[in-house]
Amino acid sequence: MKNRALQPPWSRIRYVTPRFQGPAVLAFAAIIATGGAIFWKLVDSEFQRVFLHAAIRGHYAFDSAYDIIRDLLAWHLAGLFVGVFLTGSVLVLLLVAATRHGIGKAVDSLRASADGDLSTPTGTGPISEFGRFGEKIDATRSDTLASILKIRSEAAALAAGGISPEEFRLRWDELKHRIRRIAP
Amino acid sequence: MSGPEAAGNGPLIHRRYVFGLLLRLCVNFAGGVGILFVILYFTLSRPLPGDYAEVFHALRNLSPFLRPILAVSVLVYALLACGSTSALCVYILHKVAGPLYRMELVLDQYRSGTPTRTVSFRSGDQIQPLAQAFNLWIGTLRRDRLRWLTTMKDAERHCLQDEATCRAQMEEALRKVAEDMAGYH
Repeated sequence: MKNRALQPPWSRIRYVTPRFQGPAVLAFAAIIATGGAIFWKLVDSEFQRVFLHAAIRGHYAFDSAYDIIRDLLAWHLAGLFVGVFLTGSVLVLLLVAATRHGIGKAVDSLRASADGDLSTPTGTGPISEFGRFGEKIDATRSDTLASILKIRSEAAALAAGGISPEEFRLRWDELKHRIRRIAP
Repeated sequence: MSGPEAAGNGPLIHRRYVFGLLLRLCVNFAGGVGILFVILYFTLSRPLPGDYAEVFHALRNLSPFLRPILAVSVLVYALLACGSTSALCVYILHKVAGPLYRMELVLDQYRSGTPTRTVSFRSGDQIQPLAQAFNLWIGTLRRDRLRWLTTMKDAERHCLQDEATCRAQMEEALRKVAEDMAGYH
């Protein structure tokens, strides 16, 4: 029997980040609404014309109004589906490309940090959520760099000499303590 | 679809995830169009009255009712499709939003000085190279920190000898540490 207490509690969490998921939801809603509006406009005018034409023509070889517009409706529904799906697919691909670009830049930035470059900005691209995330990474790198530079200048000052043994020892211990605080 | 595999440890977003998203969207939109069809079918498939004049009038009088029928049908379609697509977006995109949220928490912890553990995302989450790149950076920093502390500890061992040697070794160690730190810019 599985011990539920040992399972990670966050495995079933569905993260909702309005800044990231919100614009995507709105963009899909806009596509669906636009598709629906175009469908309504086209079908309305076409149906008006077809029913009027059918009434005037006079050969009523159909049982219902649906029989008159069956093919027309099928084509318009197919058009609606294809139009909305293709536009939605383009949006998905754009989202994926933006995510790859934004997160790719963040990954590159962290890799450069591992090589010692803590100052080149991340520059994560057009989606604001990734921009904010990039700024957070830059702030973290900047804090680390500031801490290292401070330690470095203190080490250089101590190495230069001209300090009393007591003060040297105190500053030496303080320096060790500061180094321990890097990447805790 | 050949996006940058930034970390060299696999793609940021798997093709399977993208195809899964497209497939779900396809089913979702098809369902919406299907519902629109059903509404219009049941509305328009009522039999027309029997004789010639009645059929003529029924067809002529259908036009005024057609516009609201179509408007309501399209509105129902739009609401259902938007609702299900929104749910789908939240469900699918949490595999990107979740890791981002977790990384933000880790970065906040790191900045506040809280001990940082190795970051790992849930299985099935996207942008895994982000965690690997962060772990690589923190690992490098920790290795460097250990090297600097070891250099200083080595210098402290000379304090068992005379004071002058101890001080000279410590100053030498400090110069070495400062030189080593120059790699960070």
